[in-house]
Amino acid sequence: MGKNKIEWVKIPLSRRQMLKSTAAFSAVMASSSFSNAWAQSGSTLRGRTYADMRSLDPAFSQGVSDEEIHACIYNKLIQFKPGSKWEWQLDAAADIEQVDTTHIKFALKDNIGFTNGFGAMTAEDVKFSFERVADEKMESPNKPDMDALSHVEVTGEREGVIVLKSPFQPLWTISLPYITGNIVSKKAFESVGGRIDTEVVATSGPYTHFSWEPKQKTTLRANPDWKGEKVAFDEVQIFHIDDEKTAEIAFEAGELDFTRVSLASLERLKANPPSNSTVEGFPSLYYVWVGMNLNNPKLSNLKLRQAIQHAIDVPSILEAAYFGVAEASTGIIAPGLIGNRASNKVPSEANIEKARQLLKESGESNVSLRISILNKQANVTTAQIVQANLAAIGISLEIDLHEAATFWELGGNENLELVINRYSMTPDPYYATSWFICEQAGVWNWEGHCNEEFDRIHKEGPGELDVGKRNAMYQRAQDIMEESGAYKFITHEYTPNIYRNSIKPALRPDGLPLYRYFQRS
Amino acid sequence: MLGYIIKRLSLAVLIIVFAITLLFVMIHSIPGDPVSTMLGPRATPELKASLEERMGLNEPLPVQIAYFFTNAITGNLGTDVFTNRPVTSIIGEQLSYTLMLIFASISWSALLGIFLGCYSAIKRNTISDKILAVLSVSFIATPSFVVSLYSLLFFSVYLGWLPAIGAGDSDDLWDQLIHLVLPAFSIGLSWVGYIARLVRASMLEIMSENHIRTARAFGLPRRWVIYRYALRLAILPTITVIGVGMGFLLSAAVFAEIVFSRPGLGKLVIDSITTRNYPVVMGSVLLSTIIFVVSTTLSDIINAMLDPRIGRQL
Repeated sequence: MGKNKIEWVKIPLSRRQMLKSTAAFSAVMASSSFSNAWAQSGSTLRGRTYADMRSLDPAFSQGVSDEEIHACIYNKLIQFKPGSKWEWQLDAAADIEQVDTTHIKFALKDNIGFTNGFGAMTAEDVKFSFERVADEKMESPNKPDMDALSHVEVTGEREGVIVLKSPFQPLWTISLPYITGNIVSKKAFESVGGRIDTEVVATSGPYTHFSWEPKQKTTLRANPDWKGEKVAFDEVQIFHIDDEKTAEIAFEAGELDFTRVSLASLERLKANPPSNSTVEGFPSLYYVWVGMNLNNPKLSNLKLRQAIQHAIDVPSILEAAYFGVAEASTGIIAPGLIGNRASNKVPSEANIEKARQLLKESGESNVSLRISILNKQANVTTAQIVQANLAAIGISLEIDLHEAATFWELGGNENLELVINRYSMTPDPYYATSWFICEQAGVWNWEGHCNEEFDRIHKEGPGELDVGKRNAMYQRAQDIMEESGAYKFITHEYTPNIYRNSIKPALRPDGLPLYRYFQRS
Repeated sequence: MLGYIIKRLSLAVLIIVFAITLLFVMIHSIPGDPVSTMLGPRATPELKASLEERMGLNEPLPVQIAYFFTNAITGNLGTDVFTNRPVTSIIGEQLSYTLMLIFASISWSALLGIFLGCYSAIKRNTISDKILAVLSVSFIATPSFVVSLYSLLFFSVYLGWLPAIGAGDSDDLWDQLIHLVLPAFSIGLSWVGYIARLVRASMLEIMSENHIRTARAFGLPRRWVIYRYALRLAILPTITVIGVGMGFLLSAAVFAEIVFSRPGLGKLVIDSITTRNYPVVMGSVLLSTIIFVVSTTLSDIINAMLDPRIGRQL
């Protein structure tokens, strides 16, 4: 039995001592020094992006989430100007001038250099950066924004001329101030084979790329060699948080300084904002519409399509799916951009009597249709309202829900009937019309809309230098879309942001952040 | 015992090969064009064809499966088409976060669950046993995402004690541990209830067995009998459950990774499935399957070591 003898060893801690220790630990936990220790920002700006970084190479940028980083670490000839109007300002260019319709002369500032010893920024770097995007061999997905580029002539160490194949106005609204406008170091890129992925070789912006923790955050640090206007933060951390609700909680817990919030939370946050914070809303550029497949025999009757257009009540959709904060749209081009229409040809409000009349004139009866949607709450609610609207005129509608990958394949599906779609947009109308030309039918033009006049406008629009004429051209393009009966425009959505009062955000007119210009208040 | 281990390991390899083949076919059968999803709306047909070739999607499915296994054996799981990084590196980075979360969750829930289970069994039919029964069932019935959200709101937003998002700085262990508390609490809570009920039931069964009665009749101290003899046998089903639980925690971790915006394998799989990023999906699925099979195999081997009768049954 000896080996079974139990020897109790008493922990040298009395009950009283135990209670004291627990109380002391709790006090430490509750004390301000511990509480929110990770939420102290100091000279760090903490923002949020909805998607993880994919590439540090502007030629392979996957869109907004990459560009938010690129805009901080690279320079462009011109950048978007923060504010409520779509305007640009000089960045790396000391001077830039459109000499004629196809020639743009530029001179670089003499105080911009690349990190890691890659020297001063020269016109050769500009030539390399722009021409590589336009080069077919590079297989850049952003090539369409540089398609009009013929070449860049280097006329001096820091001077050059951008030569276009044909006049291209979006150069000033997309190509130069957005993704494809980022200037990289020719020497640095050539030293690693001509392209980079997620490892940086040389940057020139006010911030440098310090680290990327996949699926977590990107950290940028102030560039010590930056000679331009001093940046306000030593460090910028951009957290990858795909869920808006999580981002809201993180903001309320003090872990973010700036984030987009969900429309569903907007009313609550406006009524009761977290302390020392401000909630602001911005009109977005996205456009949402209900489309009808013209190639489907079930929708070949124009009167039937018009009946559907008049039966859909956009104000109800905005109230239910967008919490009453988004405005009805008049087309695919948002307010503030060239080509925006003041009003629709088919009013946003439903006209049930007219819809019934049109349905009667169509000669169709017992109409039963299917609407395909992406599995997002706003789409589900919109589809349910459209279902109720169409039921009011005797059309039955089945809702067909898809996850992202299967939904984005529907474009080539001949059996597609109705669809709720949402496309992103850049601040130039040419970008919007590019998806609805004949060539895009079955690819991104899911309605199969094909109109000669529309295609002509799309082709000639980018080259039209007269703003008034260009405006009228794109307005007419949207009239054509509406007249086809294939579209009922819903909204451009809304971008609500929340930020701490300790910072002064610098935002594009659509509410997207330009982190390099953020200031402390 | 060696024979048992060899048999069990061979079975594990067979299960992995079968499961991966099945999952490969299933994943490639899901509708959705990965190339269009990856390249976005502005990709040219040439660009699409080039990516399709790079991903090996132009080959017949059996050939793709064969390539996958051949490469996987050499540790090559392919390249992520978005970032051009090796899938093994991507999974390696994310796996450490998920493993940390799973081990933290299962550790605290097993320790507390076993203790509560024993306590309930010893105090059978008392008020404390009944309270613990209600609590355990409540823990089991509460979904982990509900616990996640409320714990976030209470401990992060209201009290400000614990961080809400992320996994902490990679070079700061304390920061990483602090970031682990809420996610591990959220997904481990239901396991506390589950393990407590299981241990209680096993303990009661074992306690009524002859050898326990004999030990007590010999006058051995109660604690000695309970912890040395009864718990050793009562723990067997719990070890099996913990082994299987590792697999379930892999899926529960997805919720925690999304709610707490934590990096990890679950979030990686979800993101990759949405974008049809096949190399990353298959690499992650292979690893998840291996973790699941290894953990169940290990629990079987531990069981066989604790109870030699099990080893003779295979």
